[in-house]
Amino acid sequence: MITSLNSNTSLKETGNNLLEIGCLLMTSGASTNRIRVTLERISDGLGYDTEILITHRTVFLVLKDEKTQDVFNSFKKTPPHGANFTLVSGISKMSWHVIENNWTLNQIKEEVNRLKKLPRYSLLTTMIFVSLADAGFCRLFGGEYIDMSTTFVATFIAFLVRHNAIKLQFNIYLSILFASFTACIIACFAKIFGIGNHPDLALATAVLFLVPGVPLINSFSDLMDGYVMNGVVRGTHAMLIAFSIALGMLISMLICNF
Amino acid sequence: MNIIHQIEMALWLAVAAIGFAILFNVPKRTLFTIAILAALGGSCKLILMQFGIHIIVGSLVGATLIGLLSIPAAHGKHAPPLVFSIPAVIPMIPGAFAYKAMLGFIKLTGNISTEAYQLALEQTVNNSLKAIFIILALTAGVSFPMLMSRKESAKEIKI
Repeated sequence: MITSLNSNTSLKETGNNLLEIGCLLMTSGASTNRIRVTLERISDGLGYDTEILITHRTVFLVLKDEKTQDVFNSFKKTPPHGANFTLVSGISKMSWHVIENNWTLNQIKEEVNRLKKLPRYSLLTTMIFVSLADAGFCRLFGGEYIDMSTTFVATFIAFLVRHNAIKLQFNIYLSILFASFTACIIACFAKIFGIGNHPDLALATAVLFLVPGVPLINSFSDLMDGYVMNGVVRGTHAMLIAFSIALGMLISMLICNF
Repeated sequence: MNIIHQIEMALWLAVAAIGFAILFNVPKRTLFTIAILAALGGSCKLILMQFGIHIIVGSLVGATLIGLLSIPAAHGKHAPPLVFSIPAVIPMIPGAFAYKAMLGFIKLTGNISTEAYQLALEQTVNNSLKAIFIILALTAGVSFPMLMSRKESAKEIKI
């Protein structure tokens, strides 16, 4: 009986860890197929059989011990989404270690905890590089250096607005609406005060840092892999973000009579 | 063809890709590769457009190039291909077309004369279709190499 109890606790721990890994991958922007393959690879390495149902907000897992026929099943809801490719890449690397180097459950736990604690790029670094990226877009669409500086300033402030709105736990679409409104209002000021030769380009490019690139591409890969429901959910999410951006631009343009 | 202009555009493509890479919190070791991929893919699209090839086809070719190159990059830098391909493809998004389409839709809701309405309708449909098809071409191009390899992981693809 004691051995069966032990195998039960290890089954339970493995199950909970796999659920945590699945949820982390979902929030960090991995496609559904990648989540399924990674979880199956890890559970194969540990000697268990898995069946998984992955949705946008919840992961459901059935874990089966092939020897004792014990079964573990549980749900876990995913935390709020935010792309983090360091985590996706780290978990993918770890899953290969489980297969190739026979990692144990404790090693997996330690690695997941280490990956979760890795620092992100600092806020200032992110803000400067994202603003530069939008300035780059402005140049690509034919703007001049003065328009690029308008875009830089607008993006810099709008990014701060979005960051704080999310921190204050506003709805994600509302946060994007605030950010897009701020960016466009600043670009409209440039037009009113006659700064730059293409203020409309500054207006169009200052909101581009909000575009839902990860949901869009993941939506397409999910649809192609046959996860139609997840694909449609991600596509709808991307559409709602695009709609929020457009609404923010529309409101600011109506206010400033652009 | 103005080579200095082309190089400048490649530089800005790389800058835009790095901005998004940092926003998506990619590992530091992959940043340089992402910049190179974005500059190559974007320049490919811009050069094809100068030879009179349609922007949608150009975007598809550029995105496919990025998707193909992301597999050796994934082998070299030990990270999944999507870490490279998603930030690298974003500088090609049709922001200007989407913006023009949105302006057009606003115009279409107003009370304007029939001729002006016709003109606005034509331009709006043209711009929004371009924006939609470019986005589709980008996502399809990026996913294409993984679909063609028929493997579940880039690590199983021999190069």
